[in-house]
Amino acid sequence: MIEQFGNGLLLGIIISVASVALSLLYGVTRIVNFAHGEIIALGAIMTLFFSNPIDSKILFLDRFAPLGMNFSISIVIAILICGIFGGLLEIFLFRPLRKSEVGNIAVLVVTIGLSIFFRHLYLLFATGRVQNFPLELERRQTYLFFDMTPRNFQVLIAGLFVMIFIGLFLSYTKIGKAMRAVRDSNELANVSGINSDNIILFTWIASSMLAGLAGIFQAIINDVRYNMGFLILLLIFAGTVLGGIGTSFGAMVGGLLIGIFVQVSVALPFMEGHTEAKNAVALAIMILILLFRPQGIFGQKERIS
Amino acid sequence: MTIFLTAGSIYLVFILNEDGPLRILFNLLTFAGIYGLAAIGLNVHFGLTGLLNFGHASFMGVGAYVTLLLIPHAAGREGEITDTGLTFFPALVIGIIAAALFGLLLGLPAIRLRGDYLAIVTIAAAEIFRLLVRDLESVTGGVYGIINFSESLQIYKPEFLINFSERFELNSSQMWVGLLSWISIFIVLILLRRLTNSPWGRALRAVREDEDAVRALGKNAIWLKLQSFMLGAGIAGLAGVFLAFNYGSLQTTTFVPLLTFYVWAIMILGGVGSLTGPIFGSIIFWVIISETDRLAQLIFENANGQQLAGVRFILVGLLIMLLMIFRPSGLLGKKEELLLDVKSS
Repeated sequence: MIEQFGNGLLLGIIISVASVALSLLYGVTRIVNFAHGEIIALGAIMTLFFSNPIDSKILFLDRFAPLGMNFSISIVIAILICGIFGGLLEIFLFRPLRKSEVGNIAVLVVTIGLSIFFRHLYLLFATGRVQNFPLELERRQTYLFFDMTPRNFQVLIAGLFVMIFIGLFLSYTKIGKAMRAVRDSNELANVSGINSDNIILFTWIASSMLAGLAGIFQAIINDVRYNMGFLILLLIFAGTVLGGIGTSFGAMVGGLLIGIFVQVSVALPFMEGHTEAKNAVALAIMILILLFRPQGIFGQKERIS
Repeated sequence: MTIFLTAGSIYLVFILNEDGPLRILFNLLTFAGIYGLAAIGLNVHFGLTGLLNFGHASFMGVGAYVTLLLIPHAAGREGEITDTGLTFFPALVIGIIAAALFGLLLGLPAIRLRGDYLAIVTIAAAEIFRLLVRDLESVTGGVYGIINFSESLQIYKPEFLINFSERFELNSSQMWVGLLSWISIFIVLILLRRLTNSPWGRALRAVREDEDAVRALGKNAIWLKLQSFMLGAGIAGLAGVFLAFNYGSLQTTTFVPLLTFYVWAIMILGGVGSLTGPIFGSIIFWVIISETDRLAQLIFENANGQQLAGVRFILVGLLIMLLMIFRPSGLLGKKEELLLDVKSS
C-alpha cells in the first residue's frame, strides 16, 4: 500500500495542478471547460515536438520533423504556447460568446465540441502512438517511504512549488486579487475599476499555462498520447469537485486526494484483480461529494440545484 | 429546407460512389436509424426537459448488455456459450425497462443538480458503468465482449427482405436491423407526439422553461424530470440493442463518451426540441461522416487508418461547436422554443 501511496502522490500532483487551473477558470468565467484536457495534451505534445531528436520520424504525419532542442527550453516554449493558445481561445471564441450573452449550457457544449476537435487534430498530426520524452531511464530510489525515480521526485517537488507560487500569487499580487474580485462578482469588480475582460484573458492564459505544465508532468511520469488529457479529465473534475468548485486551495488538496485515492484503491483487498476499475472509485467519490456536500471540502455554500 | 438537405445528402452518396452506392446507402441508413433513435431519446432529455445528459452511452449500454445477456450468446475470453435464454422480444422489453430503471437510479440523486453539475455526473456515471462492465468479465465478457447472439433476431427476418437483399447484393442481416430500427423510430415518434401534446408534455416543456413556475403551480417538477429521464433512457436502451445487433458483437469500447457526443451532434444538427429533427439530422450526419473518410484519404495520403478515422471526429467537434454558436436550435429547431440560457446563480 505504501508504494501505491508514492504513485498516488505523483498522480495527485498532476491532477492537483490541472485542477487548480480548471478551478481558476471556472471561478472567474463560470465556464466548465471540457477542452481543458486538450490544453494539457498540447503541453506534452509541444514539448515532445520541440525536444525529440530530429531523426525520429514518428511525429506529425512524417512531414514536420521534431526540432531536437534542449529539453528544459522545450518545456518553457511549450508552456508559453499553451498560454498563447488559451489567450487566443478567449479572444476569438469565448469573449465573443460572452458578449453575445450565450448561456452557460451552450458554452459548455461548445467546449465539448472544442475538445473533440482538438483531440483528433492531435491524433491526425501527432499520430495515435504512445510516445515518450527523449529522457534516459532512471533507477528508482527511496525517498522517505516512497520508491520513485529521481526525475519523478523532482516533478513532485516542482509541483509543490508551483502550488505555493499560485497560492502566494492569488493572495498577494494585485492581479491575483483582481482575479478573486472578478470571481466573486463581475459587476462589482467592474465598478471598482477592474477591467474584467483583461482579467478573464489573463485567467485563460494562466490556466492554460498551468494545464500545459500538468500535461508535461504527466508525460514525464507516464507517456505522451493524443488523448492523454481526456483520459485524465474526469479525474480532474473529481479533484475540483472534491475540493470545492471555484476554490483554488480546495482544488489543490482535492486533486492530491483524488490521485492518492485512485492509486491506493488498487491495493485495497476487494479491488484485487480489478485494477481497471480504479478510476471508477474516484468518479464514484466525486458523485457522492456532489450529492451530499456539493460545495466540496473547502467550498462555500452556493445554490447548485 | 431540412428535407431538401436530407435528400441532397442522399443524392451526394450516389454521386460520390459510382460502384455500389446502394450498399453504402443502406449501410448509412442503418446507422442513421440507430443513432437517430438514440438522438430522439436524448432529445426527450435535453430538448423537451432541458436535462444536460452526457451519459447517453451508458443507457444504450445497459439496454444492449441486459438484452444480449438474456438471449443465447457466447461471452468472454473462452467464448463461454449460453444456449438457453429468452427469445428476442421479451429480452428486448426487459432490456428497455432495465435502461429506464438505470435512468431512474442515476436520476434519483442527480436530477436535482444544476445543469453543468448534472453534465459532469452523467458523464462520470457513464464511465463508471463502462469500467465496471469491462471489469466484471465473468458476467459481461469484459474486454472480450459478447458474440454469437445475432441468431435470436435474424430468425424473424422476413422472406421479402432476403429476396430484396439478394437481388441488389446487400447484407440482409444488416438490412433487417436497419428496417427494425426505422420501424421503432416511427413507433416512438408517434408515441412521443401523443405524449408531448398531452398535459404531461406541456408540463415537461414548462419545467424546461421555468422550473419554479411549475413548482408554484403545484406540479412535482422533480418527478416530471425523472419520468422524462426514464423515457429517454429507455429509448436509448432500444437504440443500444440495435447497435449491438448491427455490429454483430458487443464490445465495451463501443460505449465510450464519444458515442454520446455523436448522438449530441446528431440531436443539435436535427434541431434541439424538434421531434422529427433527429431523423434528418442523423441521415445528414452519417452522409457527412462517411464521405469525410473518403475525402480524408485523398488529402492525407500517408496517414494510417486510426488517423483517418480521427478526421471525422474533427468534423464532429467542429459541427457541435459551430451549430451551438450559430444555430443552437439546429437546422430545424424552433428558435423561440429553446431556452439554453441557464445562468448560474
